[in-house]
Amino acid sequence: MSVYSIFFYLIAALMILSTALAVTRKNMVHAVLFLVISFLASALLFFLLGAPLLGILEVVIYAGAIMVLFLFVVMMIRIRATEGSGFLLWHYLGAGGLSALYVAACLLLVRHSGPGTGAPMPAAVAAPADFGLYLFERHWLGIEIVSLLLLVALIGVLHLGLSPAGQRSGKGGPY
Amino acid sequence: MPGASVISETWLWAGWAAAAAPFAAFVLILFLLRRRPGAAAAVSLAAVATSMVFALCLLVCCVDMETPLRSVVTWMISGDTVISAGVHLDGLSLLMLAVVCGICLLVQVYSLGYMAGDPGFARYYAFMSLFAGAMIFLVLAPGLVQLYIFWELVGLSSYLLIGFWFEKFSASRAGKKAFVMTRLGDVAFLAGLLLLLVRGGVMDIAALSNGAAGLSSGMITVSAVLIFGGVIGKSAQFPLMTWLPDAMEGPTPVSALLHSATMVAAGVFLIARMFPFFSQSDAAMTFLLAVGTVSMLMSATMAMVSRDIKQVWAYSTISQLGFMLMALAAGGYFAGVFHLFTHAGFKALLFLCAGMLIHAFHSNDMFVIGQGGARGLKIPMLCMAVGAAALSGIWPFSGFASKEAVLATLVSLENPAWLIAGLAGVFLTAYYTFRLVFIIVFPAGRGQTRAEDPARGVAYAYGAMAWPVILLAFATLVLGFLAAPIRHWLAAGAGAHEAVHGPAWLAPLSLGLVFAAIAVAWVEFGRKNASQTGFVERVRVVAELFARRWYLDDIWGWAVSRLLDRGAAEACRQADNRVIDGFVHSLAGAAVASGRVLARGHRVMIQARLMIMFAVVFGLTCIMLIWG
Amino acid sequence: MIVPYTHVILLASLLFLTGMICTVLRRNLIMLLLGLEIMLNAAAVAFVGAGLHLQQIEGQAAALFILAVAAAEVAVGLALIVCIYRQTGTLDPECIESDVCELE
Repeated sequence: MSVYSIFFYLIAALMILSTALAVTRKNMVHAVLFLVISFLASALLFFLLGAPLLGILEVVIYAGAIMVLFLFVVMMIRIRATEGSGFLLWHYLGAGGLSALYVAACLLLVRHSGPGTGAPMPAAVAAPADFGLYLFERHWLGIEIVSLLLLVALIGVLHLGLSPAGQRSGKGGPY
Repeated sequence: MPGASVISETWLWAGWAAAAAPFAAFVLILFLLRRRPGAAAAVSLAAVATSMVFALCLLVCCVDMETPLRSVVTWMISGDTVISAGVHLDGLSLLMLAVVCGICLLVQVYSLGYMAGDPGFARYYAFMSLFAGAMIFLVLAPGLVQLYIFWELVGLSSYLLIGFWFEKFSASRAGKKAFVMTRLGDVAFLAGLLLLLVRGGVMDIAALSNGAAGLSSGMITVSAVLIFGGVIGKSAQFPLMTWLPDAMEGPTPVSALLHSATMVAAGVFLIARMFPFFSQSDAAMTFLLAVGTVSMLMSATMAMVSRDIKQVWAYSTISQLGFMLMALAAGGYFAGVFHLFTHAGFKALLFLCAGMLIHAFHSNDMFVIGQGGARGLKIPMLCMAVGAAALSGIWPFSGFASKEAVLATLVSLENPAWLIAGLAGVFLTAYYTFRLVFIIVFPAGRGQTRAEDPARGVAYAYGAMAWPVILLAFATLVLGFLAAPIRHWLAAGAGAHEAVHGPAWLAPLSLGLVFAAIAVAWVEFGRKNASQTGFVERVRVVAELFARRWYLDDIWGWAVSRLLDRGAAEACRQADNRVIDGFVHSLAGAAVASGRVLARGHRVMIQARLMIMFAVVFGLTCIMLIWG
Repeated sequence: MIVPYTHVILLASLLFLTGMICTVLRRNLIMLLLGLEIMLNAAAVAFVGAGLHLQQIEGQAAALFILAVAAAEVAVGLALIVCIYRQTGTLDPECIESDVCELE
């Protein structure tokens, strides 16, 4: 067991633990903060798996931008911790069945997985410059589409953010 | 040798600068100097003069170099295809650069007088700069993509200039016609380019020429014929020729520029530039030869009956371009290119002279100009005579040398029909040229010439218009004797060893034909009490055929109205109503109906729906893994 | 030498399961969105692991696109949540649903 695999298991344990904690918190601020830890851990994992650029982007975008956005919204809404007291029994049963189905699907996938998946993977690193070059040579159209998507999201958010103001002055309606 | 590379670097920068200067002038005028016509003209002239100086330096210093100089930057990479932009300096592009710059400069100086007082003066100079810049970049292009971009830019700026007096309906209509008809050819050109790109993956002209693309011969023929489509549109050949006579609606200096060195020359230049590539396909070259011959003869007949002085020159441009294409298609690289140069000189000269006459007499009709006393204007008339002699191909003017080279190439072909067609073209050219000259110089009512008429012509801005004309007339005299050095410079690029002089009987024969034509023209138009009706005009049907441009416009109009308006548009309308609208309507109905059904399901809570979705996805995964 | 590929996939699938449970069993729209983020992140981890396993950079490119899509999705989702909160005063999916039901 090399030092890399020790790191991997440490990081994996950290990720699963913090994610589980995040999912179960009543207080949403705590949940978001635990999730930040989880995302930082997955950034470390990306470094370990040879994707330094993705690791940095994970820190910047996921742990930085997205989670801070969540935090803003949580702070802004200041919702009372009065989450509904749970569901009907059939809902829990359904969730259990779903999980079982998921595990079954995963197990089937493992059974069907190709050769060599059990052997330890060789370490390799994609240098950020190589990765960027590859991205813009092979996926320039995808990059353009994603940037367009971000623009559309921006415009949509602006629209969503603006519309209540207009409605407040008007007579108001459901939408 | 480091010194040599530094020097060639300098020349490449000079090439870039020569091309960039008019563009800079265009931007400057468009954004800053629109309200200041004087400054605009000064900027534009300075830019073209700069290009001219660079072009002359380049011509003097590196025209006889062994290998072409190239400066290429990569513009786009997509997969294995590299598309580059840059400048390519060799004998052909340098000579062409000098011709383009020179004629642009002279025309712009001339326009100072011709366009004086026009409300769109600054706009005019902006477009002229754009025109010059686009043409220079086109000439210097090392790759087909750059060439195509500036090819379209040349088309755009000529559209802007032909429709320059856009408040006149006919002018804007002529601009549109020029744009659309050349575009028709450009579609074929673009298709040819894409074919080359997809099959060969190479856009570099040099690489295409030495066969690096590894194309099959059939593919070369198909792509060459498609590219000829663009040439046919741009150089106004059969059957897309009718836009050029209509393009006379623009200002006369624009016509001069359009007809000599820029717009229509681009087509011939493209053939010359890709000559080694095209010569790989005999079928394509034969096609080109036929197109050139047909348009040469057709437009010459049209010129025989026209009364409009500018239209006669326009038809003769088509005819001469046909000559160049014939020469190139027959393998006469030098002959075609040399005729392009000499034609640029004397056609600009003829148009500028015509412009002076039109400016003085406010009419395009040659009979009106003649009766108005045009013979009193010495400079334009003398220069026009020089130009006419060159156009007809009389020794010692430049047209003689180049036309003889063209005919010499045609002699070398196996089929004598081409040579006969060429000689017929020579005869017709001389006939219509001197018909025009005689009508103007010896007007019908010569007995009662009004004495005060020449005085009327002196009133206009003479200086700015006279000097370019005189310079061009001088160039027309000299250029014919430069055949040998030009051939030497061009040969460095092409390695063509072709006959400049045909067999001994050729020059006397063609000269004899020319003088016979002049004699016919003299009998019909020149001598005292001449009827002033040509032999063609006696036969009403033929005259009508020629005057209506062989009904080409009618055929195009019919094709557009029938095939496009009634056929395609109607079919589209029906398809739209029945198929698309019907489909959308039924789709909408189905959506509403299914929405009603599904709405019931939607009242379930969001997370229950989420669960169902997940369950479906994972269920499908399981099913596919078990039975897949 | 790092760990076997199956371990990375196992990690990713566990993360995905956590996210899925979060989306399904929390009565709070923000938490639902958080669950979605966790699932997207799990997919990115799986892609990077697969990229390393197959020694291809393609997996990382896919992960990058996931990142970008996640950013867009979060922005729009949070804006929608804020909108919903302003109009209904609650983030409970069931109440929102019943509101809509009442309006119909």
